[in-house]
Amino acid sequence: MKLTFFTVSVALRHLRYGVGQSLLTIGVVAISVLLIVYLRTVIGGTQRSIVNNVTGTIPHIVLEPAERTPIGAWRLPGMPAGELYVGETVKLPRALDRIEDWRQWLPALEKDPDVTVVSPTVAGSAFLFRGSRRESVRVTGVIPERHDRIVNVEENLLEGRFLQMATGEVVLGTRLARDYGLRLRDKVRLVGPSGRALSVTVAGIYETGAGQLDDGQVFVTLRDGQSLLELGSAISNIGLRIGDIYQAEAIAQAMAPGVPFKVRSWISDNPNVFRTLGAQDQTINMVLVSTIIAAGFGIASILIMSVTGKFREIGILKAMGATPGEIQTIFVLEGFLLAVLGCLVGIPVGIALLNALSSIRAPGAGGRMTQVFNIQIDPGLLAFAAAVAITVGVVAAFFPARRAGGVDPMQVIRGS
Amino acid sequence: MGTDTPVIELRNVGKTYVTGDVQTPVLFDISFRIHRGEFVAIVGGSGSGKTTLLNIMGLLDRPTAGQVLVAGDEVGHLDELGRAEVRRERLGFIFQFHYLLPEFNVLENALMPCRIKGPAFQDRQEPRMRALLETVGLGEKLASRPSQLSGGQQQRVAVVRSLANNPALVLADEPTGNLDTRSGRVVFDLMRTLSRESGTTFVMVTHDDDFALEADRVIRIRDGRIEDSAAARSEAPPRLAAVGS
Repeated sequence: MKLTFFTVSVALRHLRYGVGQSLLTIGVVAISVLLIVYLRTVIGGTQRSIVNNVTGTIPHIVLEPAERTPIGAWRLPGMPAGELYVGETVKLPRALDRIEDWRQWLPALEKDPDVTVVSPTVAGSAFLFRGSRRESVRVTGVIPERHDRIVNVEENLLEGRFLQMATGEVVLGTRLARDYGLRLRDKVRLVGPSGRALSVTVAGIYETGAGQLDDGQVFVTLRDGQSLLELGSAISNIGLRIGDIYQAEAIAQAMAPGVPFKVRSWISDNPNVFRTLGAQDQTINMVLVSTIIAAGFGIASILIMSVTGKFREIGILKAMGATPGEIQTIFVLEGFLLAVLGCLVGIPVGIALLNALSSIRAPGAGGRMTQVFNIQIDPGLLAFAAAVAITVGVVAAFFPARRAGGVDPMQVIRGS
Repeated sequence: MGTDTPVIELRNVGKTYVTGDVQTPVLFDISFRIHRGEFVAIVGGSGSGKTTLLNIMGLLDRPTAGQVLVAGDEVGHLDELGRAEVRRERLGFIFQFHYLLPEFNVLENALMPCRIKGPAFQDRQEPRMRALLETVGLGEKLASRPSQLSGGQQQRVAVVRSLANNPALVLADEPTGNLDTRSGRVVFDLMRTLSRESGTTFVMVTHDDDFALEADRVIRIRDGRIEDSAAARSEAPPRLAAVGS
């Protein structure tokens, strides 16, 4: 590139003189930049919403009691050696739905740099009694300040509290509360599967908008859960939250060999969601790649026309001593400038459009007005779109520019 | 260069075009010297090779035999960049068509060779070029687009442009060929005057015998050879009386 007074001024003059063509090209670039920014942001936001809906109410990774591997009968102690045993290998049910030694694993899990929250949890079924009403509910015993960072109950409270939930208290969903006609400080009875009963006071009522949480789900303290489900000091599982939820499966697999638990990630539990998001990504990327290629062809074809129409002027410039490099620079510079101008139009329009979109509000959970589109404008994406457009502009300009640089004055000046 | 060093010298220049297996000889054993201030006409029928000769003198084409010396320097070994530099520094061109750039006004077009050399040089030459454009009757048209000029006016701008870089040699390829008789005469007289006043050497290819007769010297080309070898080999300095008169 020879950025000189001559090359820059001629390139600028070409663009200004062919203003119609220039505007057309700038428009094509602007539209492709706009599409990159707009589609990626809107789709990214939608995907984030979907993922949040899926993962917002569950741990990203769950550590459960390991499935026991059957041991051959011949390996049992006291069995005589050298005898033939015939039998069938069966997969045993988990004998114990509990983790006894969870306390010794917490520090190690908390130290894992990928893990942001560790929440020991007790889970099981119980009956909820009030007066003559009796229904089966899921009981989750938690340490509230830990579990609230996995399922955000505190923020979704309609009344009462969750973080300060004490022994003998229960926090439940709005639908369950409505079905039972429950208010704060009402007393209910929970009866565990083996008949263990617990009298608890309603300390909070929440609405998350997720059906399985708002209906048929109650939270109690870890200790109450343990006694209701007769787990002693054991728990049912350990829920983890991690920094990058898309890495959940990789982290789970990396973690599995080092812990005596079965490790499940939200991705392996929701393969369809993940596949759908991937397919959506691919579709969008294909649309974007096509748009960018179209923009590249647009720039290239307009510059090819421009170069072809200027063969004789290029010839005279070369006769006057302009070098092939200088001529090439003029046209590459034109492609570059058209792309830059396209970005200067496309990016602000994209941002304006996204801002308009993000200001659309509609009634959401609990009748509150919420954003319809989850729009987060990523400066990195803007920079990426601009970089793509400018690269495409320069690459597309390169071929016509090389042709211009190779013009032989002798061939074109005589008019042959 | 010394006063007796030719502005351009051709020594036994030959040119053969090769297309596949077919060899087409165009020029044979051309030798001549042209000195400072001369106004030389190259004449010949179509296909005689006169334009090829001019292209070789203008470093737009390479001879297949012989040597070309510009101001005493052999240019045969120069690569494309080196040849571009010689054109930029020492040569001016006028073609049958004006090839003014439509994006630039008259003054900017006249200054185009200076623009290639850089803004400082262009600024230094601008007053001179304004004056030259005034002289050729285009003082009112400095800010006009080439498309707003008549054919004769456009070619006058092209003539002025050929002098922008203070060339030692201006090469003109049928500069009047595309003009009516009257405009052609105006352009020719202009070249003649500018040559005389600035001492710039002009070499003009033409098929117009009237113009050729008014040149200091005529080199006739027929079938790729110089017809009148005496005129071509003239070792005598140009008619100095004509210079500066």
